[in-house]
Amino acid sequence: MRKLKVAVYKFSSCDGCQLQLLNMEEELLQLSSFVEFALFYEARRSVSSGPYDVAFVEGSISTPHEVEVIKKVREESKVLVAIGACATSGGIQALRNWANAEEYKQYVYPRPEWVEVLKYAEPPSKYVKVDYEIRGCPVSKEQLLSFILQSSKGKTPTLPVDSVCVECKRKGNVCVLVAKGVPCLGPVTMGGCGALCPSYGRGCYGCYGPMVDPKPEVLNTRFKELNIKPKEIQLLFKQFTNWSREFRKVIEEYE
Amino acid sequence: MSLTGLYVGRAVSLRILFSELRRLGYVVIGYKVVDGVLRLGELNSFEELAHDVEDIQSPGKYSLVSGDFYRHGPDSPKRFLYPPTLTLFKVSSEWVVSVPAYEERNIAFFGLKPCDLASIKVLDKILLGVDEYYTSLRKNLVLVVENCVSPGGTCFCSTMNTGPRARDSFDLAYTRLNDKLVVEAGSELGLKLLNLLEVEPIDDVTYERFEVMMRNASEKARAGFELNGLPEELELRIESKTYEEIVEKCLGCANCNMVCPTCFCFDVFDVPLIDGSAERVRVWDGCLNFTYGQVAGGHFRPDLWARYRHFVLHKLAYWIKQFGMYGCVGCGRCITWCPTGIDLRETVKKVLRGGKGG
Repeated sequence: MRKLKVAVYKFSSCDGCQLQLLNMEEELLQLSSFVEFALFYEARRSVSSGPYDVAFVEGSISTPHEVEVIKKVREESKVLVAIGACATSGGIQALRNWANAEEYKQYVYPRPEWVEVLKYAEPPSKYVKVDYEIRGCPVSKEQLLSFILQSSKGKTPTLPVDSVCVECKRKGNVCVLVAKGVPCLGPVTMGGCGALCPSYGRGCYGCYGPMVDPKPEVLNTRFKELNIKPKEIQLLFKQFTNWSREFRKVIEEYE
Repeated sequence: MSLTGLYVGRAVSLRILFSELRRLGYVVIGYKVVDGVLRLGELNSFEELAHDVEDIQSPGKYSLVSGDFYRHGPDSPKRFLYPPTLTLFKVSSEWVVSVPAYEERNIAFFGLKPCDLASIKVLDKILLGVDEYYTSLRKNLVLVVENCVSPGGTCFCSTMNTGPRARDSFDLAYTRLNDKLVVEAGSELGLKLLNLLEVEPIDDVTYERFEVMMRNASEKARAGFELNGLPEELELRIESKTYEEIVEKCLGCANCNMVCPTCFCFDVFDVPLIDGSAERVRVWDGCLNFTYGQVAGGHFRPDLWARYRHFVLHKLAYWIKQFGMYGCVGCGRCITWCPTGIDLRETVKKVLRGGKGG
């Protein structure tokens, strides 16, 4: 069986998602028997050129240079997989989309004129066709591994798409929203994390982003009924996937 | 069916029942307080059984306060008899298929309410002899039921004819009247258990009290609609705009499916493992999930209102055609555990109030 030729790219991001590949400490050796990491700057110096079977792309596109690079990545990859909140919705740095990035530059950089940024930090899907999304901040290594294993077997990869609520209930968690009145994004958020935060009695922070056909405006109304402060509601939605189309609607109401 | 009619003993003798079930080797499952909620779980001692608490349930809200009677929590017997995640079989890297042997466990449910007893009767109709796991557990399942003297804010068992008093299919049914215990046996084993207690045939005064309590409880657990002709009436109004109005509050999160004691839908997926083997796994699924109606050729319920309508009509109309009984037992869990508090009782009434054909 031919090894799966994989490339791992990074754009504007913190590296946490590709680090999840290296966090597969036990599996890595076995993985290398059927996966060739042809390009993976965080793990190895040697690079083999494309085309690649699968390119994992981390990060958002936030500079003109990155636009050029992502187009090149698209050309040389059969399958392009966006991994993590930055690559699927713009991530935390998309918070700058709500403010004036030019002004921020003045505070942060000694020579702001050297820093070229786009008006918005956006996911790669804004510029190129993305075949798959693996959600999360960071992505779960179980999902990454599952995706790689399915791809290497020639199976069309599938990942969970139900709400976090479904995972909570399967797991047997107590609903923090109904039983404790804790604001929770679970009912509008894509599952796959194993309902991590509600398992520890916290509301879901929504890091996997909107589920399929979500109703954030309905949850917004419910939060109001529960007397949660407007600022708090806005900040709940204005987190890891603040720039996702569905959450944006709610955030804009409070801008 | 009751084999014995009603007897009276002392409420403290519940402890004797519990010990005897343990002595006979049963895994006793009942409600205990976990993290501010009643959860069904294995009880290692009688003290673990929830006591001196009451569950306050209303649409979208659940809390525990101190009290002397409780109904239930988010878990139903389904969690144990039809688990949320189950490995169906494994395939080795050499393509050898192995089906896991489901361990024989003798389970005794202790203190289930009549609605949950009814839910087991519904699951029997669907899964018994069909689902191996269910069938293996159901063979030796013991059901000790507590009649409901005080239905909660989202209960409507008397409308669904499932409670508040259990009428059949139990091993033992008991009712707590202060320090007394009204009890009846419904099986050979129930009879054995009953004989361990110091009981005497029920006296007129206690019987009268029991009847009044059950009548009062029955009044409290009404939904405000009648079952008579309900499936037909609902189907005649299948085009009702009410469903679209109701889903303005719906999140499509499928909590209702998950907590429903009779929802039996599942999804199946294959999990490749790193050693070259793979597993086929079954998980709870539900008709409110978007992907539930997604098939190779497209999607037959892309709109949320259609998914919600399907949930309501399956429970109260299609189930009758499919299995000859209702799929809803009136436990009210879908009302309590809906994050926005959508009330099935109100939905049905609203649809019925609307005219036929829209």
